[in-house]
Amino acid sequence: MLPVSAVCGGIYRAAIRTLRTRNPPLCRRLSSGDGVLAGLADADTIFALSSGHGRCGVAVVRISGPAATTALRCMVGLRKHLPPPRTALLRSITDPHSKEVLDRGLVLWFPAPHSFTGEDSVEFHIHGGPAVITAVLQALGSVPGMRPAEAGEFTRRAFHAGKLDLTEVEGLGDLIHAETEAQRRQALRQMSGDLGRLYQDWSHRLKRCLAHVEAFIDFSEDELIEDGVLDRVDISVCDLQAEINQHLKDERRGERLRSGVHVVIAGATNAGKSSLLNTLCQRPAAIVSPIAGTTRDVVETALDIGGFPVLLSDTAGLRDSPDLVEQEGVRRARERVQQADLTLVVVDSTILPSEVQRAAAVLLKHLESVLTSQEQPEAGRCLLVLNKTDLLPEAQREQLSLGLRGTSGLPPVCLISCQTSEGLKDFLTVLQSTVQTMCADPLSGAPTLTQARHRAHLQQCAAALAQYWRYRDSDLALAAEGVRLALTGLGRITGRVGAEEILDIIFKDFCIGK
Amino acid sequence: MSRMLTRKLLPVRNILPPVTKRASHVHRQRYDVIVVGGGHAGTEAAAAAARVGAETLLVTQKTHTIGALSCNPSLGGVGKGHLVREIDALDGLCGRAGDWAGIHFSILNRRKGPAVWGPRAQLDRQRYREFIQAELLSTPRLEVLEGSVEELLVTDPNPEEPGRHRVTGIRLANGSRPISASSVVLTTGTFLSGSLFVGHTVSPGGRIGDAPSSTGLSQTLRERLGLRVGRLRTGTPPRVLKDSVDLSLAKLHPPDSHPTPFSFMNTRTRCKPEEQLPCYLTYTTPGVERVVRESLHLNCHIQQDAKGPRYCPSIESRVLRFPGRRHQVWLEPEGMTSDLLYPQGLSMTMPPDVQLRLIREIPAMHRAEIHTPGYGVQYDYVCPTQLSPALQVKNTQGLFLAGQINGTTGYEEAAAQGLWAGVNAARWARSLPPAGLSRTESYIGVLIDDLVSRGVNEPYRMFTSRAEFRTSLRPDNADLRLTQKGSLLGCVSSARRDEFLRVKLRLQDAEAALRALTLSPAGWRKMMPGISVSESKNGTLSGMDLLQYKDVSFEMLASLFPEQLSPHIEFSERLKIEAVYKPHCDLSKREVERIQKEENMSLPQDLDYFSLPVSLSKEVREILDRFRPSTLGAATRLEGMTPAAVVNLLNYVQIAERKERMMNRSNAGQQEGRGEDLCARNASLPQ
Repeated sequence: MLPVSAVCGGIYRAAIRTLRTRNPPLCRRLSSGDGVLAGLADADTIFALSSGHGRCGVAVVRISGPAATTALRCMVGLRKHLPPPRTALLRSITDPHSKEVLDRGLVLWFPAPHSFTGEDSVEFHIHGGPAVITAVLQALGSVPGMRPAEAGEFTRRAFHAGKLDLTEVEGLGDLIHAETEAQRRQALRQMSGDLGRLYQDWSHRLKRCLAHVEAFIDFSEDELIEDGVLDRVDISVCDLQAEINQHLKDERRGERLRSGVHVVIAGATNAGKSSLLNTLCQRPAAIVSPIAGTTRDVVETALDIGGFPVLLSDTAGLRDSPDLVEQEGVRRARERVQQADLTLVVVDSTILPSEVQRAAAVLLKHLESVLTSQEQPEAGRCLLVLNKTDLLPEAQREQLSLGLRGTSGLPPVCLISCQTSEGLKDFLTVLQSTVQTMCADPLSGAPTLTQARHRAHLQQCAAALAQYWRYRDSDLALAAEGVRLALTGLGRITGRVGAEEILDIIFKDFCIGK
Repeated sequence: MSRMLTRKLLPVRNILPPVTKRASHVHRQRYDVIVVGGGHAGTEAAAAAARVGAETLLVTQKTHTIGALSCNPSLGGVGKGHLVREIDALDGLCGRAGDWAGIHFSILNRRKGPAVWGPRAQLDRQRYREFIQAELLSTPRLEVLEGSVEELLVTDPNPEEPGRHRVTGIRLANGSRPISASSVVLTTGTFLSGSLFVGHTVSPGGRIGDAPSSTGLSQTLRERLGLRVGRLRTGTPPRVLKDSVDLSLAKLHPPDSHPTPFSFMNTRTRCKPEEQLPCYLTYTTPGVERVVRESLHLNCHIQQDAKGPRYCPSIESRVLRFPGRRHQVWLEPEGMTSDLLYPQGLSMTMPPDVQLRLIREIPAMHRAEIHTPGYGVQYDYVCPTQLSPALQVKNTQGLFLAGQINGTTGYEEAAAQGLWAGVNAARWARSLPPAGLSRTESYIGVLIDDLVSRGVNEPYRMFTSRAEFRTSLRPDNADLRLTQKGSLLGCVSSARRDEFLRVKLRLQDAEAALRALTLSPAGWRKMMPGISVSESKNGTLSGMDLLQYKDVSFEMLASLFPEQLSPHIEFSERLKIEAVYKPHCDLSKREVERIQKEENMSLPQDLDYFSLPVSLSKEVREILDRFRPSTLGAATRLEGMTPAAVVNLLNYVQIAERKERMMNRSNAGQQEGRGEDLCARNASLPQ
């Protein structure tokens, strides 16, 4: 019998052996937003905008992987000679297919292993406008073997190549968490619109196609599954292929998403949320009244805070209401909070207990009910705004301001009065620095990135459906594999589909008797 | 060797000596491995353990029923056939037994692509049992004992390793001395707290005609070891007298004209092609539905809420879930000389007189007579997430479970687990590290991984859609995937190893010959005018490339290049399949490698996930605590795991290793020896 401690020793050694290998064991599993995936190869070349957005002069696009040089060859016109390593070169960047010049910028080439990821890498330093960035990202997406990076993928590759030191490695989990969260919020914004419904519908239909092919494979010969099943799958696959291809060709790209940091004002009724919105945009954008439940829908305005684009939304006050319209308003408010990059939780400071400890406890509880997310609010994702301080006695104001600052678990607290503009300046400073930090993160608030990623996955999906037809008559196992790959591609947008889910559809639709 | 039918030719009857061995006749009081149960799981487990080199004892209630087919008289099918081929590649019994006992062979899905072909056979019950019994009796190091196990002997948990029991042996019902063993494999099928249902009658037992098993075993598992158990149900149809059925009213279903053997060691089956018996297909009528509805109040089993399978439902649940349809009923032969028919699809639990009324609603059976009525079984299963990938109970060293006790259904699923549990029980007894089988290399791996990392909520059956690497896990290449591994584990006979090596070398030669044939696309077009050969990247195409084309067969190429290719004609089918599938398998290769790496990174079983100083959400901690994944790979497949959580777990393992290393350095003297020992153990791990 093996002593347990001895077994563990062996385990750790085995783990380390794997860690040390050059070929990373974890990348592909980890690279999807929903946490589970299959089939993303490390052999893929990935790209991403790695600078912030907003009003910046220069944007940096990073490319890493074996096909990085392809980008140099087909987009920068360096067909024969690669540039000297790690040297900036001013070149025109062109679309590989249309040959249209997209921008003129600096190009840098970092051959493996002397790069951030340890792989062949290329950097484009281009002009910071959204149109240029989108064009370059989409051009990259059309190069074979390239796809947009998933959350944390650059860092993970660096990790596996041994390019990070131990302290950096320890922060890796948090980084990946933050990035997946940012992508999740982006995806939520996209998926709540018409586009989301379209993708969900495709996913649903593809699932049925797969389930029916699988039923035909696993059961048809001795069960009562008619040949007609496959004919229906044929029609379905044909339709889906046409729709996806049409969608990819469609230049309108569905609804336009506004970029910027999404800031949502939330809180109980009559806390002064709409007043805060009006104060921030310096115009009466939202109706303000002393009646609880004045704001029912989401009021959205685009702002410029310290030079950074912000999309500010005022939401209905959170309370249980018998009014159907208000209920819908509250639902929308909660949805917005889920999608927000930053939530301003507004509280009427006059309802707080005067004793600081108890006030902190009340606020913590209140935060939980507003944010509702199961996990702890991430640092920097929430600001607490205590409004109506003009109605507080001077001493209590002082106490709150000093006492709450050090309370653990509470986000930064600002005391303001929308009525007298007291404390507004300090609040704006805090808000601006938070927004600034967020803009430095290339993942928050850049819908073009999400769109580029969706596009790449849809292209994979369409290509996989072509495999269905290639093998439809000769080998149903390989044809089914095509549908399965298509669903995997689409699943990166809409969420993974497991084997059990397919079996559930089979047993719902067919009576399997054997 | 391969041209011989089976390894041994068998006497037809009286294979087991009539004198059954009793405990007092057991040759030893201590064995390496004791296997409890003589069904598909138990026989494969015992045979595998003995092959690996363990002194093995098989204990069963009735030696006479060893190898009995309790339910359907058939083996294989889609997905299940894959398992049979893999079991055979590891030198298990059921493939060769199927070739010996088969009386109707067919390959299902013949038109749907070789990855999903389903080798299947109707069996002669008696021949199957004979083969299995003869095989077991002639296996060295294996003894068979008739008896009922009263108690499983386990040690109290070790105070230093909380919750850790160790198995020490068994005690039989007749109160004799305990028999001790290092490993015990339980394959009790439906006998664990089993109850039989016919109409309103409920009686204890796992199979009609057999004594119920003792309650002691069930108690030990639940109360002593604290294992979570659930309840499942299954059923079997009535057996019908062949003479009383009007087969002219059913559709004849002939077998394949050339039977394909299950086993890689056989080139033909015992049954001659022309001796094969047909099956018949008929359908239910509205009358059947009426009888079911009228008799629901008399049907105890169907009203219970134990979970039955969705894919092998009783006629009652088929009719209730999909009313107004006609359902298929297959009439299958029970044996070469048997006068019974098995009505597949009519498993039922109503009172016998109603069963008769029901089957007579089907035209072909309008005056049929029932030989044995159908019945339902409800039984306990042990939630398989409590097992390691070696099928060892996590909290009890040396205790292995296989078959229906783990919540599966089907002979093939049971046999597959039995074989793997047997191999690992023997390894445990010999202090060797557990052997793993990945889901990337076999359906057996898929089966075990699904069981231990996801658990079951209905009887688990294999489907090809469960295998994400279906294009590489084909019935044709099971030997290439597994026999070498089996050989390293010592569970493959030398005859099979030699045959495997021969086949492997010959296949390699043939592929090399195909690759060496290179022509320009124009050249190929000239040679094969009917084929629309497309251009290639580097200007030439090899024979292997051409073989990918739908209309190109190996025989065609061989006729064009007889000198190079005709020596390989024996493998024409395998080469064609390999050529078509290789590009697809290559695509998934990286994914396969990644999973294999993650599966090689074990997580200690005694981790306290709630206090682990790692940033994990409460939700993830709960999931990890509930499923206790054995490897990082299993952890990543759990529902609800986040990418960040996996990276944090990985980091934890890394940090723990660093601490361990530092500790080792501080007391290097004593630790060194053990470290080396461990390295040696790891080195012996099969790859």
